[in-house]
Amino acid sequence: MAASVDALLLRVVVSLGALADTAAPVDDEWQYVADLVTVWGAALRAAAGARAGQEAPPGAGAAIDRLVAEAASIVDPHRAIDWLSTLPQVALLAAGEGPR
Amino acid sequence: MRFQNAAKDGRAIVYAAIQADPLVARAAGLLAGAGYPERLLARAAMNGETLDPEAWRTMFPTLFGPDSDDATRARAEAVLAVSLDVAGRGEEARSQFRGAIVEALTERLLARRVPATAIHRERRILFDGVATEIHPYDVTVEIPGAAEAYDCKWGARGIGPDVLHQLDDARRHAADEGERLVAVLVVFDAVRTCQTRLARQTAPRQGLRMVTLETFDRMAGTKGAAS
Repeated sequence: MAASVDALLLRVVVSLGALADTAAPVDDEWQYVADLVTVWGAALRAAAGARAGQEAPPGAGAAIDRLVAEAASIVDPHRAIDWLSTLPQVALLAAGEGPR
Repeated sequence: MRFQNAAKDGRAIVYAAIQADPLVARAAGLLAGAGYPERLLARAAMNGETLDPEAWRTMFPTLFGPDSDDATRARAEAVLAVSLDVAGRGEEARSQFRGAIVEALTERLLARRVPATAIHRERRILFDGVATEIHPYDVTVEIPGAAEAYDCKWGARGIGPDVLHQLDDARRHAADEGERLVAVLVVFDAVRTCQTRLARQTAPRQGLRMVTLETFDRMAGTKGAAS
């Protein structure tokens, strides 16, 4: 059985938090990092809530698995900051959502 | 208001070599003909960790999945290949390539709306009685009465007080001389991220226009996916 859209997107919220931890050493961007986690976390939760229980589109489950693994492989804090924006966008697209 | 070529310092000479690299033109050409999903793929892959194309195909099922048509898949494969070529250049080089690609993409899209002869790169804008800005504008459209100045960024993190002040100063100084200058910030990042970055900035941004990943086609005079 395919995973639900909300289950997939809520996994990405957790991944977003891990990216923020990786970005933490960049002291002068802590506020920006916190803001990105807040706004993109809200976007992901909103999309998850709107499609709670809906079956994910074909390929979305594997896409999120690989996307979360890619985010977890990032060790450079500056790249992690960049990915705080990229990760949620790619996840939303994989889940069948348009740009937010 | 006058436009002038920027002086070539050491950094500019090195960067000019990057700008002239065929990889930049190839990437810009592909991205000019792409939509939001392919541009997002480029953004992710050019700054990702893995160089395995299959991993990226898996992450973008809307482009590479079974429901994707041949034309979409072919376009996405080309974007993926050029993006991984950039990513494979190493950390410092990929950063320079990414910036040059955003500039070249901006130039290509503008060329669909205004004569190519009106588009220039790395130009300073001079105003009577005003000290010249240190940094040149990445792209300018030099049409009397309808000038435009573009500052191009890979990510929203590049938005800072210096950038905002320079664009605002140019717009205001032009107005002081009775000229119209449209100041545009082009960011290869999501509008949500750009707005988040801007929210903490105190520098003036009245009259500033912003183009983001979702709305690049507006520079060509057509609406972007999220318009």
